[in-house]
Amino acid sequence: MAIYETIFILDSLLPPKEIDAAIERFSSIITQNGGKVRKVDKWGKRRLAYEIQKKQYGFYGSIEFEGVGNIPKELESEYNFNDKVLRYLTYRYDKRKLKAMAMEEEEAVKSSAPATPAPEPAPAPAAEEPEKEKAPEAEVTTEEPKAEEAQAPETNNEEEKQGDE
Amino acid sequence: MLKFRRKRVCSFCQEGVVYIDFKDEKKLMKYLTEQGKIIPRHTSGTCAKHQRQLATAIKRARHLALIPFVADFTR
Repeated sequence: MAIYETIFILDSLLPPKEIDAAIERFSSIITQNGGKVRKVDKWGKRRLAYEIQKKQYGFYGSIEFEGVGNIPKELESEYNFNDKVLRYLTYRYDKRKLKAMAMEEEEAVKSSAPATPAPEPAPAPAAEEPEKEKAPEAEVTTEEPKAEEAQAPETNNEEEKQGDE
Repeated sequence: MLKFRRKRVCSFCQEGVVYIDFKDEKKLMKYLTEQGKIIPRHTSGTCAKHQRQLATAIKRARHLALIPFVADFTR
């Protein structure tokens, strides 16, 4: 099962109901063919970089889904049949995208786990150091004990927060 | 011109970019000429690996009308 994303541009003059209906139709095609919708995203009305079918604006939407190779074909036939679709693009996530996604997830986990008390002490000073070269030693010396100390209270905070939730 | 050629550092490598997203048209615009052409490697200093990715990203963005194929000059 690969992950795909399909992006389509609909006529921006359509009423919002019809736009929702169209998005639902596309997602039903995915599910009917054994796919699984992961994310539906409406980018909204945007100005097109160039005219398509004499239109200046378009409504962008995207669906991220898991599935096998027949789904993009089915979607394509639907897009071609539907006059309201100005443009579409369906592509498979390549290894780089997947890697980037995995990295994002890791960061999300990291940022959510230590939460707010010490928002990652390491990266922030690293970014500041090249800018403020005047007192890098002072920063470094203060950082290390902080980082060590921070680890202990962090765990406590986590527990507290979990309890709160 | 010499000054331009000496600066040959890939901006994507410096930032540690793993994936060049074609939906971010503002970033892509930096790698296009005013006419909308892709800036060659020897001018922008992008490494081969990222230039290849960048090219596909730009082409996808063009198809979705996020960035123009040709900038329209009103004459």
